[in-house]
Amino acid sequence: MPQFFLNKRLIILLVSIIILVALIGFSIRDRANLSWPEKFVKDTTGWVQSLVATPTQYVVGIFENLKDLQNTYEENKELKKHLEDMARLEAEVYSLEQENAELTEVLKIEGSIGDYDPMQATVISRSPDRLWHEMIIVNKGSSHGVEKNMAVMTARGLIGKVKSTTPFTSTIQLLSALDPTNRISAALQGDKKLFGTIEGYDKENEYLLLKGLPVDAKIKKDEMVVTSGLGGVFPGDVPIGKVIEAVPDQFGLNQTAYIKPEADFYNISHVMILTRGMTIPKDVEDDKEAEESEGDDL
Amino acid sequence: MKRFLVPLLLVFLFVFEGIFTQLFPADIFNGDYIFVPRILIIAIFFLTIYASLKHGIIYGFVFGLLFDMVYTEIIGIYFFLFPLSAFLFWKLMKIIQTNIVFVSLVGLICVAFLEAAVYVMNLLIHITSMDFSSFAEIRLVPTLALNLIFVIFAAYPLKRQFEKFADVLRND
Repeated sequence: MPQFFLNKRLIILLVSIIILVALIGFSIRDRANLSWPEKFVKDTTGWVQSLVATPTQYVVGIFENLKDLQNTYEENKELKKHLEDMARLEAEVYSLEQENAELTEVLKIEGSIGDYDPMQATVISRSPDRLWHEMIIVNKGSSHGVEKNMAVMTARGLIGKVKSTTPFTSTIQLLSALDPTNRISAALQGDKKLFGTIEGYDKENEYLLLKGLPVDAKIKKDEMVVTSGLGGVFPGDVPIGKVIEAVPDQFGLNQTAYIKPEADFYNISHVMILTRGMTIPKDVEDDKEAEESEGDDL
Repeated sequence: MKRFLVPLLLVFLFVFEGIFTQLFPADIFNGDYIFVPRILIIAIFFLTIYASLKHGIIYGFVFGLLFDMVYTEIIGIYFFLFPLSAFLFWKLMKIIQTNIVFVSLVGLICVAFLEAAVYVMNLLIHITSMDFSSFAEIRLVPTLALNLIFVIFAAYPLKRQFEKFADVLRND
């Protein structure tokens, strides 16, 4: 036994394994906020990263523009076709909007869960540890008004949610992360609105899984899936993707739909962080806070 | 001034990994494979062999902790595995002669060890439930291929830089 304690290396290894387990345990639990050393480190590296990222993105932008020039002719033809339809659509949208505004005024409805304020942010870095951690770091943080769990989208659709914030940067977890706690309340826009949660990502086929749909619902291909806005922090009606097919789940109690995401999870350079327009009623928020503090006690 | 060159180089490589991942055309080969730049740990391996084990381990701890805080938000995995793989590398290099080709190859073997160890860790804490063969196909092999290219370009400059650093340390 004394020999065992004399073996310095073994002791160091054991102590470091204990520290490792403690640290992982500390960081893996559902934290409301990062600790201040983490915030400090993330802000400092964020500053360095944006220092390097800005000029490199400028150079990359030039090359991308050159690449775009190559197929300008084809694109132009295509766009002209769309443009003719555009004028008609615009007129229609205008009259619909007017009508909607009038009707909501008559009914005295204030706001809808579909309202949101977009905030532009630029990606300054991406986690190299891809597959396990699909995260991007953007240059807007809590001092700009970003909060944990806010929805993040590109022009094409939802890409993820804010995982953590520091004063000047925030980390966004993409929908393609394998993390099982990465869940988003979603709605399927069929003849009847169906609700489920986006849980998990199929890496091989690049599908999102929409689980918890009623077993007797008829789900058609190409139906749109949007955020439901029922989660409290996410605004509603942000496009997520289109249905590819629906299958009964493991136990046959629910259906799971495979969703092809609208947004591209690879080449992301600018994102929009969405602040929900409609505020949560005060008493609901109080309930939530009470629940949260109870949770902390446990 | 020369003393700060090595930490600065490592900080640059640390930031470079993030920006490389951001700008790398990830939809190459249909986006089926994931290429992870591991140039930082390769530089730490070279530091271990050309400067000293002590430096390798210390920088391993510091950059492991930074990597965990900034890129994964789960503190502990890289904090533990960077120094461990640097130590493993040093152990292996004691058996083999320190020829630059061997240093590079053993470095790649240790990168493979690091990747596999990170996979096992993530499996243990339920970040992933992927089986080893798909992990190897999607991430391990492409990562090794990418880092082989890195090593071919970076081995000689890294060696020269760290030998200079070792000289500075010896003169003090």
